[in-house]
Amino acid sequence: MKDAPFALNKLSPPVRMALGVVGAALIIGLAVVVFGIKPARERIKTLTAEVAQLNAKHVSMKADITGTQKQRTATEVAEATLKDILDEGVIEPLLGSFAMRGKSLMDPLAKETGFTIANVKEERLIPLQVPKPPPQQLYARQLVEFTGYGAYTQIVAFVQAAERAFPLAVVSGLRIEHQMSTPERHKATITFEWPVKGEKRK
Amino acid sequence: MNDASLHLNLLQDDERFGSSPVRARVMIPLLAVLAVVGLGVWWLLLIARVGNATNEKTLLETHCAELKPAHDQVLALRAREKEARAAVSQLGFYRTARIRFGDVLGHLPQHVPASIQFTELRVPPPPLQPPPDPALKVKPLGPTNLTETVSLRIVGRASSGTSSEAIRSLLEALRKPAFTNLVRKAEIPKGAFRQDIARGPAARENILFEISCDCGERRFE
Repeated sequence: MKDAPFALNKLSPPVRMALGVVGAALIIGLAVVVFGIKPARERIKTLTAEVAQLNAKHVSMKADITGTQKQRTATEVAEATLKDILDEGVIEPLLGSFAMRGKSLMDPLAKETGFTIANVKEERLIPLQVPKPPPQQLYARQLVEFTGYGAYTQIVAFVQAAERAFPLAVVSGLRIEHQMSTPERHKATITFEWPVKGEKRK
Repeated sequence: MNDASLHLNLLQDDERFGSSPVRARVMIPLLAVLAVVGLGVWWLLLIARVGNATNEKTLLETHCAELKPAHDQVLALRAREKEARAAVSQLGFYRTARIRFGDVLGHLPQHVPASIQFTELRVPPPPLQPPPDPALKVKPLGPTNLTETVSLRIVGRASSGTSSEAIRSLLEALRKPAFTNLVRKAEIPKGAFRQDIARGPAARENILFEISCDCGERRFE
């Protein structure tokens, strides 16, 4: 090493100093780039993206807030439409019983038309087809079966009165049977269905 | 004259200067130091930019936090609207699938000849829903069938003699505008027009019949 052509001790002190300075500068420069500039640039890149995202969020929030009144009106309109439909005839159970709810609704009509309700039975609950996007509160079709007696005209008057009084009530099953003992009085099994609240989506 | 000259070199190697006015051993370290200073300045500028961006981010976060309650209110209103619209849409399926029997049943007696007596009038209840396909990973929220067929079955008896004409006239009546609202097709199924043999010899004069009416389908969409 001592005899190597570029051995340090063969170089003059100014050259050695120059080399030392250059070497130190290289090391410091490299350290500045690796530990300072590069992380700072990455941080700036991240921050710029975050700021851009926040800016967009801020602009969108401001725009949303500006439209609060419009949104409130739209919500109120939609909820009013829903309320109208619910009021039109989406029924709720009476003390947990749809049969009793159905009976309470139909009894006055039966009295009015002369149809005698002998029995009311809660039948199947059929889920309703689901739109896209689906609501959280799903709705279903509740079948309630009314068995009773009456003349054909009374049975039909009862059905017509129910369809008039409850626009959402639908006759989904019907059986009018001739009775040998009472030719003018038939047995009728009428299944009405109403829309009801079903499952709540999680 | 002897022109021979003697060239004496009294300089040591390291004392020798180049002819260039720029000394490399000075300039290279100088440039290296300047480069380091340049890098340092760049770094400082980057630190300043990081500071500015951080401040800007903090400011925006504060603004967003200030707007959050008002924005949450709008989002809640929007969610309520979405929920109401979806519910209206689902109930709309039900509304469009409504079917009315009252008027048709009301018109029926006018078209029944005196020689005909109904013994049964039946609208079968909705069919049972098929169980969900076990192969499906996600259970559907509701039925996947959009339609449900509705039918009306009229069973009766007619006194013999003009029974076939009476039943034909009833069948024709069911195809009239008073019924076509509901009844799409009315026909006597094969073998449903027959003699009443079950109730003894006296009733053999009577004819039993059955009319099957297709009332279209309820479309839940």
